[in-house]
Amino acid sequence: MTSDYKRFALTRAGQAVVVVLLAYVLTFLVISVLPGDAITNTLRDPQHGLSEEDIQRIVAFYGLDQPVIVQLLLSLGRFLTGELGFSLQSNLPVSQIVGDALPSTLTLATSALLIAIVFAVVIAYGAQYLPGKWAAIVRSIPSFFLSVPNFVIGLVLIEFFAFRLHSFTTTDPNSPVATLFAAITLAIPVSAPLAEVLIASLDHESRQEYALVARSRGLSEAKLFAKHLVKPSALPSVAMVALIVGELLGGSVITETIFGRDGIGTVVQKAVTGEDQPVLQAVVSLSAVVFVAVNLVADLASPLLDPRVKLREKVGA
Amino acid sequence: MTLNTKDRNMSADLLTVQGLSIAYGPTAVVHDVSFSVAKGESLALIGESGSGKSTIAKAILRLLPHGEATATGRVALNGQDVLALPEKHFRPLRGRELGFIPQDPASALNPVRTIGAQAHEAAALLGETDPTVRRAKILDVLEQVGLPDPARVYDSYPHQLSGGMLQRVLIALTVLPRPALIVADEPTSALDVTVQKLILDMLTELRRELDISLLLITHDLAIAAERADSLVVLKDGSVQESGPSFEVFASPTTDYARSLQADVPALHPDRYRNQRSTLREAHDGGSRTEAVSSPSPGPQIDVQGVTKRFSAGGKDVLACDGVSFSVDRGRTHALVGESGSGKTTAVRLLLGLEQPDGGDIKVAGQSTSGRSRADVREIRRHLQLVYQNPFTSLDPTWRVGRIVREPLDQFGVGTKAERAQRVREALEAVGLPSEVASRRPAHLSGGQRQRVAIARALVVRPDVVVLDEPTSALDVSVQAGILELLSKLQRELGLTYLFVSHDLALVRQVADSVSVLRRGLVVEDGPVEEIFHRPQHPYTRALLEAIPLASVPAEPTAGKQLAKATA
Repeated sequence: MTSDYKRFALTRAGQAVVVVLLAYVLTFLVISVLPGDAITNTLRDPQHGLSEEDIQRIVAFYGLDQPVIVQLLLSLGRFLTGELGFSLQSNLPVSQIVGDALPSTLTLATSALLIAIVFAVVIAYGAQYLPGKWAAIVRSIPSFFLSVPNFVIGLVLIEFFAFRLHSFTTTDPNSPVATLFAAITLAIPVSAPLAEVLIASLDHESRQEYALVARSRGLSEAKLFAKHLVKPSALPSVAMVALIVGELLGGSVITETIFGRDGIGTVVQKAVTGEDQPVLQAVVSLSAVVFVAVNLVADLASPLLDPRVKLREKVGA
Repeated sequence: MTLNTKDRNMSADLLTVQGLSIAYGPTAVVHDVSFSVAKGESLALIGESGSGKSTIAKAILRLLPHGEATATGRVALNGQDVLALPEKHFRPLRGRELGFIPQDPASALNPVRTIGAQAHEAAALLGETDPTVRRAKILDVLEQVGLPDPARVYDSYPHQLSGGMLQRVLIALTVLPRPALIVADEPTSALDVTVQKLILDMLTELRRELDISLLLITHDLAIAAERADSLVVLKDGSVQESGPSFEVFASPTTDYARSLQADVPALHPDRYRNQRSTLREAHDGGSRTEAVSSPSPGPQIDVQGVTKRFSAGGKDVLACDGVSFSVDRGRTHALVGESGSGKTTAVRLLLGLEQPDGGDIKVAGQSTSGRSRADVREIRRHLQLVYQNPFTSLDPTWRVGRIVREPLDQFGVGTKAERAQRVREALEAVGLPSEVASRRPAHLSGGQRQRVAIARALVVRPDVVVLDEPTSALDVSVQAGILELLSKLQRELGLTYLFVSHDLALVRQVADSVSVLRRGLVVEDGPVEEIFHRPQHPYTRALLEAIPLASVPAEPTAGKQLAKATA
């Protein structure tokens, strides 16, 4: 078991590294085939006021006078050693720009994930155990959550809680209460698929024969739920949580804009409009790392949570 | 209809069901059912699918889905009406008074918890709070049900145990709190015959030892008659007949009970024999049907020394170890064995779905090895398969006409009009009305579906039909209809059958010759009469002994003494 698990974990970790590298290469190629020579355009912009020497230095640093493949290898080599380059707009190190924005986004995304999980759990268990009519209403919540765009939720929450109830002010977007509402905005659409998976698997598990047999053994509904149903119905959701992280990364761009927060979303937005290639490359690669890492954790956890998962098959797959 | 009152007065009734009716919404599925079980007695509810037997069991256990089903009438346990009790007062009876053994042991235990963790729930019903004492009691009961290594079972997850072991675990968990009554819903129908016998023997013994009453739910009249003191025969939710087992079994008074009894294969080994002997005469008399094209003198199927090895988890498993058998034209050969015996692998090799590692397979005198795919495909056209479960072998989105036509389309046979004609003929041959062609499988019964599957096999006019447990998913009365049809088709079309089954009683009815397989080896083969009357190998003998009611049922006096002894 343990040697099988080690083999499985190493294989999965290796696969994860490959995925991150492929994501890096793909991003690099997509940015470099985009119309317009982004870097030289920016460098030659008289507003930057760069001297010819500066420009030569930068061109040499990125290998801009050499073929794309050389540029890619140069950039990839620096990425692997943790060197992310400099922003073309501000000349600041990319690591500093990202490092400044990261805590705010991490706070937002983490709290949104927790809130989404709480929402999903409450909805799913309500759908299972509330009396008939209420259960039907609760069951329709996920599709409602999915159909309302992120920015509408954000604007409604700001209008109602900031402007009417004065729960928070939009001028201090990093206050705990403002962060909470931003996280709720981000969490609502993300909680919907999670709730749907939970509802479906709870429905499925509670109809299994083992649930019936456990009931015949005199277990109360509460005990049946806690001892028999929670774990098997949570298993499909673990993979779902990992996928949701991707949505959180994407959704944070919009949410940060609406709430006026400075985070990775804002950095991305500026980098895209300003054709700031090194920043864009760094942020996309970091997102890939986060996404792959979370999925790796979910993958490694599943054989520990579910004794039925056969490692040999998983390694072969 | 209750059991006769004299019986009931002899000992106090443990369970009394009076005028029980159950409805799902407006649809009534059980009508006014009454019976009673005395202390220490066993009673079997028999019926086919849809007879309401499982619904009655669930109503007694109060496990019917809330809000969907309504039960009216009286179900009294020790004189207390359990249907009227509030849940709070009924729950203490669960497990302690009323035990439940479910049908499919593989799905009856939580897959992500160990056996031990689940057994503690049952042990808790004894009122024991000390976990070490509980563990000792659990290990004791696991040993009592015949599990060889209780400590290992205790730490195992359900998927690590076989079906037979799981059913022993479930029985152990049910008897652990010493209930007064056990409701067993088809406790062995998912198991191999030899395992079934061991489990039923063990259950009978435990019951006597611990003085537990049994309500056995089954579709198998032979098992019911062998294991229960009295029988209640159900059809469409109503009691047809009830009384002491030997009476109902030996002299059924209603038509339905009579037909059920007539459909038990073990009791009528020669049921299809006469039809088959006429077939042979017809053949010998030279009046063969035109379907038989080239009368080759050799066997239609000839499998010689076929070997197939699978590697699973680093270990090599010999699924077929030098398997040989041959079948003459127009005859039926049976492959018999339990799960893991290699019978399915042998069939897959014959059909060309797997390649053998060694040996040779000849179909109509032509070897299938070392040939091109196209050639093998052409040979396979003469070999068709009827699969075990008609509920999964038919595409639910296709209409029957298209399902039956598919092999013709595959092999590009004839024009569109000719294909339609052949589909009509095939449906007619299996006794289905032509309007079935426009229906989807969901609108057909199990028996009708299997007829569709047979029509699909026949439509390309094969010489050989492989029947892989063709009736194991069907009720006995439906099974009889399908076997009659197969026997008629063989007679009319001169078909050669390879019949794969675990049910020896059935094999005896339909086959001319048998190969008994065990762990990839043919342990015994020969003409069916030979094998049944003079089995040589101990495994064959064990299989034969496992057939319920292999001998004539016990005579009434013996039955009565048995009932008294248990009371």
